[in-house]
Amino acid sequence: MLVYLGITIGSKSLTRAFADKFRRCPPISDLIDYFTTNFTFILGYTWDHIKLVGSAIIIAILIGVPLGIYCSVNRYAASTILQIASIMMTIPSLALFGIMIPVLSLINEGIGTLPAVIALVLYSQLPIIRNTYTAISNVDPDIRDAANGIGLTTFQRLFKVELPNAMPLIMAGIRTATVLNIGVGAIATLIGAGGLGGIIYQGILRTNNTMILAGAISVAILALIADLFLRLIENLFTPKGVKK
Amino acid sequence: MIHFNDVTKVYNGNVKAIENMNFTVEDGELVIMLGPSGCGKTTLLRMVNQLESITDGDIMLNGKSVRHSNKIEMRRNIGYVIQSNGLFPNMNIEDNAMIVPNLLGWDRKKMRDRFNMLMELVGLNPDEYRKRYPHELSGGQQQRVGVARALAADPPVMLMDEPFGALDPIIRTHLQEEFLQIQKELKKTILFVSHDIDEAVKMADKIALLKGGKMMQYAEPARMLNKPSNSFVAEFVGQDRVLKSMSLYTVKDLADALTLKPVLESPDSQNINENLSLRVAISKILNQEADQLIVENDNGTRKGSITLDLIEQFLHREIKESV
Repeated sequence: MLVYLGITIGSKSLTRAFADKFRRCPPISDLIDYFTTNFTFILGYTWDHIKLVGSAIIIAILIGVPLGIYCSVNRYAASTILQIASIMMTIPSLALFGIMIPVLSLINEGIGTLPAVIALVLYSQLPIIRNTYTAISNVDPDIRDAANGIGLTTFQRLFKVELPNAMPLIMAGIRTATVLNIGVGAIATLIGAGGLGGIIYQGILRTNNTMILAGAISVAILALIADLFLRLIENLFTPKGVKK
Repeated sequence: MIHFNDVTKVYNGNVKAIENMNFTVEDGELVIMLGPSGCGKTTLLRMVNQLESITDGDIMLNGKSVRHSNKIEMRRNIGYVIQSNGLFPNMNIEDNAMIVPNLLGWDRKKMRDRFNMLMELVGLNPDEYRKRYPHELSGGQQQRVGVARALAADPPVMLMDEPFGALDPIIRTHLQEEFLQIQKELKKTILFVSHDIDEAVKMADKIALLKGGKMMQYAEPARMLNKPSNSFVAEFVGQDRVLKSMSLYTVKDLADALTLKPVLESPDSQNINENLSLRVAISKILNQEADQLIVENDNGTRKGSITLDLIEQFLHREIKESV
C-alpha cells in the first residue's frame, strides 16, 4: 500500500510529459487483474530473484561468519575488516554494478548473474560480519572463562559454547542482509541478472504503472516471506536455553 | 598435592602481582586463600590451571610441573568452580554437568549414573533438573550444578574462586555446610579463594592470608586467630578474633578438655547439643536466655553443664596452647 501511495505522490514531481501518463494511478482492480493473468510470468521472475539472492546470501554467510569469528579473536584486524565492509555499504548499488562490468569483462562475465552475485555478496558483508563479531565478543566472559578452565580446546569452545550462544544475533545479521539483498537485487536486472527488477524496469519503459506496482509489491512480499522463513530457521537453530 | 615453588608473576615487565610464593596444599586439604581485593589470590588460583601464566618459579600438581603439562588435559583433571557459576546457557543441566566426562568420551550409561549420583550429592533431584536450562534455576541451584560439574570426572584437585560469593547469606551458609559435608566424604585437595574471614574460619583446614602478592601467614584457622603473625593479620582477622575462633570449637571440645559443672536444677537453664559450636553456646548465655547450659549428646543424655566462666577458662587454655 505504501508503495502505491509513494508512486501517487512521487509522480507529481516528474516532468509534464511523463506526468500525464504517470499521474493516473491504476485502480486496485487493474493490479489484481495483472497478478491473476500474469501469475506464472511473475512466479518465474520471483524464482530467478530467489536464486540470485539465495546464492549470494549463502556465499556471503560462508565468507562473513568466519570473518566475524576471526574479528572476535583479532581486535586489530576487526577494525580494518569492519571499516572495509562499511565502505562497501556506502557505494551506491547502481555504481557497484557499473564497476563490476569492466572488471568482469576481462573474463567475459561483464554482465549477467556473476557480477550481480558478487555485488550482493559484498553488500551483505557488513551486517553479517558485524553481528557475528558483536555476538561472539559479547558472550559472557565468565562463560568463556569456565569453558577454558574446564579444559575445552579453542574449537570446542567456539562450537559448543560461543556459537550456540551467539546464534540469535548472527541470524539477525543474516536476516538484515537478506532483506537488504532482495531490495538491491531488483536493481541487478539492469546488468542482465534477471529477477523481479525486470518487471519494474519494463513497467518504467512502457510507462505502465500497474507493472511497476506489481513488481514492487512482489519484491516487498518476497522480502517479508524471506524474513519469516529465516525467523523459523533461527528458531530451529537457537538452543532452547538461549531463547529468552 | 599442590606445591607452590617460588612462584612469581610480573605484569608488563614491572608490576609484581605475586612475589616468591611458597606453600603446599596437602592431599585432602581445603586451603582458603584470603586477602583484600588486589592481593593476588585469584591470580594465584588461576596460575594453577594455567589460565594465568607463571613468570618465574613453578607449581607442582601431584608432582608434575603445571608449566610443562598439556594444558587441556590438565584442566580436565581439575575441578573448576567460579563465582558466577559459568554454566553454559545453551546446554541443559545434564549436558552442563557432564561436559568433562563427555569430552573424555565416557559412555552414555556411565554418564547417566554419574549425573544421578552427583545431583543427589549436591541436593538436587536428577530427574527434575536433567532437561532444564540454567536460566530456569535459582542462583543457589545454579551454583550446586556448578559444583556438580566440577566434580563430574572425579578430579583429585579442585579450584574454587569465591564459589559462594554471589549468593545471599542464608543460601550461602547452607551451601557452605553442605559443601563441607561433601568434602568430608570425598576428601579432595581444594584451593579456594574467598574474601570472607568467617567463611574461611568455618571451612578451611588452613588459611593463606595474602597482601600485595606476598604471603602474610599460612596457618590453621585457630592458630591464625589466636596467634596472628603480624599486625596486618591481626587487623584483617578482626579485633573480635577470639569470638570468631569460638565457632571453631564445639561444646564437645570443651567437655573433653575440662570437667563440666554439675547440673543444677534452676529455671535459668537450657539444653544444648554437644555438637553445636561454642559460639552458639556463648550467645545463648549472653542473650540472657540461660545462665547455665545443660550439655546433651545426640541420645539426649546429660553430660553436665557449662557457664560463662567455664567458656572463659577454656578459651584462655586454647590461646595459650596454640602459642
